[in-house]
Amino acid sequence: MSKSAIAALALVIAAAGSARAQIYYGPYYAAAASGGPSGNIEGFTVVGKSTVLTRPDVVEIDLSVSAGSELTADAIVKYRDARRKLSEAFAGLKLANVSLEERGLKVNQKGNDNSGYFFGYQPNQRTRTEVQLSRRLVVRGKDLRKMDEDAVLQLVAKLLDVAQDAGGHVGPQQEQNDYYSWRFGGGSSNSLVRFVVEDFDKLQESAYEKAVADARSRAERLARLSKVELGPIVAVREVIVPGDAGAGPNSTAKDDDHPRKRLETSGYQEIPVHVELLVRFEIRTPADSKIRATQR
Amino acid sequence: MRLAIAMLVMLMAPCLAIGQTGTDPKDPNKVSNDDPARPLQMPPASTETREALGDFDRFQRRGAWERALKSLYTIPDDQARRFVDGEKGFIIPVDRRRRAVLAALPAAGQAACRLFHDADAKKLLDEADGPDELKKLERVYSAYFITTVGDNAADRLGDLYFEQGRFDRAADCWLDVLRERPDTDLAPAMLAVKAALALDRAGRYSELEQLRGEIAEKYRDEPITIGGRSGSAAEVLAKLLGEVASGAEPAGPTAQTPGPHVSGAIEPGWQLRIGDSIEAGMQPIERNQWRSNALSVAVPTVAIHGDKLYVNYLSHVLALNMDNGKLLWRTGSFHNIELIAMQPVGQMLDPSRFAVVASGEYVWALSRDVKDQNMMAPFQLICYRAENGEVIWKSSDGADYANFELVGVPVLAEGKLFLAAKTGGPNRRMMGMQQQPQQFALAIRPHDGKILWKTEIGAFRQGERYYFYYYMKDDAPQPRLVYRSGAIYVDTNVGILGRLDAETGTLDWGFGYKTESFSANSWMSYYYNRPEPGAGPAVPISIGSSMLVKGMQSDRLTAIDPDRMKVLWDRPIARKSRLLGIVGDTMILGGAELSAVDLKTRSMLWSTHLPGESLDCRVLVRPDGIWQLTPRGIFEVDPASGEVRRIFRGNDLGSAGGDLVLTDRWLLSISNQTITAYPRREGGAAAPATASTVHDTMKEKASP
Repeated sequence: MSKSAIAALALVIAAAGSARAQIYYGPYYAAAASGGPSGNIEGFTVVGKSTVLTRPDVVEIDLSVSAGSELTADAIVKYRDARRKLSEAFAGLKLANVSLEERGLKVNQKGNDNSGYFFGYQPNQRTRTEVQLSRRLVVRGKDLRKMDEDAVLQLVAKLLDVAQDAGGHVGPQQEQNDYYSWRFGGGSSNSLVRFVVEDFDKLQESAYEKAVADARSRAERLARLSKVELGPIVAVREVIVPGDAGAGPNSTAKDDDHPRKRLETSGYQEIPVHVELLVRFEIRTPADSKIRATQR
Repeated sequence: MRLAIAMLVMLMAPCLAIGQTGTDPKDPNKVSNDDPARPLQMPPASTETREALGDFDRFQRRGAWERALKSLYTIPDDQARRFVDGEKGFIIPVDRRRRAVLAALPAAGQAACRLFHDADAKKLLDEADGPDELKKLERVYSAYFITTVGDNAADRLGDLYFEQGRFDRAADCWLDVLRERPDTDLAPAMLAVKAALALDRAGRYSELEQLRGEIAEKYRDEPITIGGRSGSAAEVLAKLLGEVASGAEPAGPTAQTPGPHVSGAIEPGWQLRIGDSIEAGMQPIERNQWRSNALSVAVPTVAIHGDKLYVNYLSHVLALNMDNGKLLWRTGSFHNIELIAMQPVGQMLDPSRFAVVASGEYVWALSRDVKDQNMMAPFQLICYRAENGEVIWKSSDGADYANFELVGVPVLAEGKLFLAAKTGGPNRRMMGMQQQPQQFALAIRPHDGKILWKTEIGAFRQGERYYFYYYMKDDAPQPRLVYRSGAIYVDTNVGILGRLDAETGTLDWGFGYKTESFSANSWMSYYYNRPEPGAGPAVPISIGSSMLVKGMQSDRLTAIDPDRMKVLWDRPIARKSRLLGIVGDTMILGGAELSAVDLKTRSMLWSTHLPGESLDCRVLVRPDGIWQLTPRGIFEVDPASGEVRRIFRGNDLGSAGGDLVLTDRWLLSISNQTITAYPRREGGAAAPATASTVHDTMKEKASP
């Protein structure tokens, strides 16, 4: 090996070693990766939990319209008519608290994912592209809190009936690949409607307040049992925060949904606004107590 | 030099290969009978025959008439009814092709043909007498039409066909002389009048009108004598046509009278409860099992004759009195059918293969005994006495049917029962097919089941489905038959529409349309691979002189003139769509949605998605409305705009949808749960098309 080759090899090894040293481990592992001293665990760290219940105010129904054809012009006519008929049907209800929201329009190739999964895999032999236009629509009925349960049921029934009679497909998308849902999870629920809480600022405030109080109560108990005096709060971390769309397994948030703060449930029931905080209290030493007493 | 020759040969090799395939490399859209990618091939001409036709073409272009004609006349007689590619997707028999190429010869070629073959033609014509008359005349017409006696042979053949009632063929003979033999010694006025009469009897009205115009223009005052009447050609024709009962197809009583008018207030006249009868006494878990079974959504097939309704529900044949719904007879009770449905053999059954046809005296049902646990048991045609359900004959008793798998819906016309069949019975399917199955059409004598004729439409290039694993049904497309003016049209739904002479079964031609192959071998899939539901088998629809064709697997909709063998137009269409009917200048399509296409501009006018889609149910398409039975009731749609006028929930909610049949008195709603007869309410005016009507109806339903 020539000198120049050895030099080049050394240079490469040096560069690789230096790059490896700069691998980013992310904030969660930053402390561990840095190999530095462990974090400050002084004081009492407790969990404060609270749950406040509220009734949903909005009901939502997912619909989909899709149209496919060999001629894109035909697909456009089919899609346009399907969408118009749905819009007109809901407008015909003349209910002020009902609205129809549209999500993104998709232009796909129809029937392109019907492979025979494992052994019977057949390449798609379709030589032509059949265009499929599809769009997700969300029907929203508001002001549920002003209604009794019977009226809510009537509204839901009406919305479902109108949607189906107007040719809308209610429920999960038709083109979903069932095998992959089964194999990798992510299968949709059977629920046709979802009940939503969106305006829960006051409740959230109350829940946070109760969670902090709960944490303080726990910390005081620990301090009392430990025969030390509880100091002020020095750190708080949110563990469970209400209304993070897409955070939970029951969330129905889709890619084309705007990120927003909301709570969802498939049943018409009181929805829990749940807050969980990790709170660290300082421990007051006797010296601190003396200083404080002197200051008083 | 050797190297140059070798290179020249190599360069020419692709050209030779293209010449052998018989396809035109310049036209990728051309449909060829010889294309190995197509699922069905009509009986092909031999390679020697195709080469002979190619040689003829090559020599005649060079003016080598003797060699050209010699190559043409080397084609043996047994090849005359084999098929070669014609024009624009038509697949024609060799004798038709031979006559066409001879007629297209220039004057020098025709003169040469007469020089070489007049003697043969005259000999044949002289021999055309007695039992061989028809055969010999057909031979002259096919092979020697342009000789000096070809026109005489065609004229005599036309007379013979006319006497036999084969008006379609008679018209073709006389028209060929008129159009292609301007040198004929026969009186053109007489030929034109005879052709016009034959066209009228054959129901080819657009051609008749054209010919009448020509007679009025060219032969108006030429004297003729025909059928004992003398006078000018125009006068005699007018008299004869006036005397002949018009063969125009009646529009049908239902087309003239107002359509059904059903609303929330109508109570059914009577109802046959199939679902309740089966589910009676079931525990919830049994009911759940039954309802999740594919047979629970099977819709019975029905036929009406007089005041009787005949039903074939999964091989149980029933006769009902249409006035009151009273059961007249039945072949068996369908209690405990859920037990059969749970067996693998029951889960493989395709309910769409059951059919029933009725006449005054007999009822024919195409069934497979659901109690038969043999997975290979065939479908059989059973003839019952309409009066009491007595079995008169069944196809399983006849040796002629042994090799046939009967498939499709029988058509009763001209006193015959026409039905499609595949060769390769179930046993052979089990054994693993020694030979590819063939598609046949059969004509059956209705009262004793004798096969009058059987004609091969083509041979499948795809093997049979191994459908007996994993509860898979045989979902190969079913052929559909249509009778029209003395001809039977068989849409195989796998790329060929064939026309047969209803009297003799002679396969006149086929029309090859583009189609995808139906999927095979999906049994290899380890997990059940649910295919996308497609539309049911398509039936060609006639509009005047044209016919609309859209195969089940095809993404093209084609209008052809079957009499002139022309493609009028075609357009791409969703593969999932199917033809439902014609309203004025609008074609109504089913499929994933109801839609309408303007026949003039061929643009899509509207589309309406109804619950449960419109894939295979029988939809009422009328000028005053379109009615479809859905799982959410009967939807009435405005044919002009596609708007839903009215929803009639009826007494059949929660069914899987089904068929609607309109009679003079009833609107029959036939679902997997009930057969319900609603009064038709003649004269009821349709409500204006408003969205509020729909919502009002729903409000009625929602409120107790």
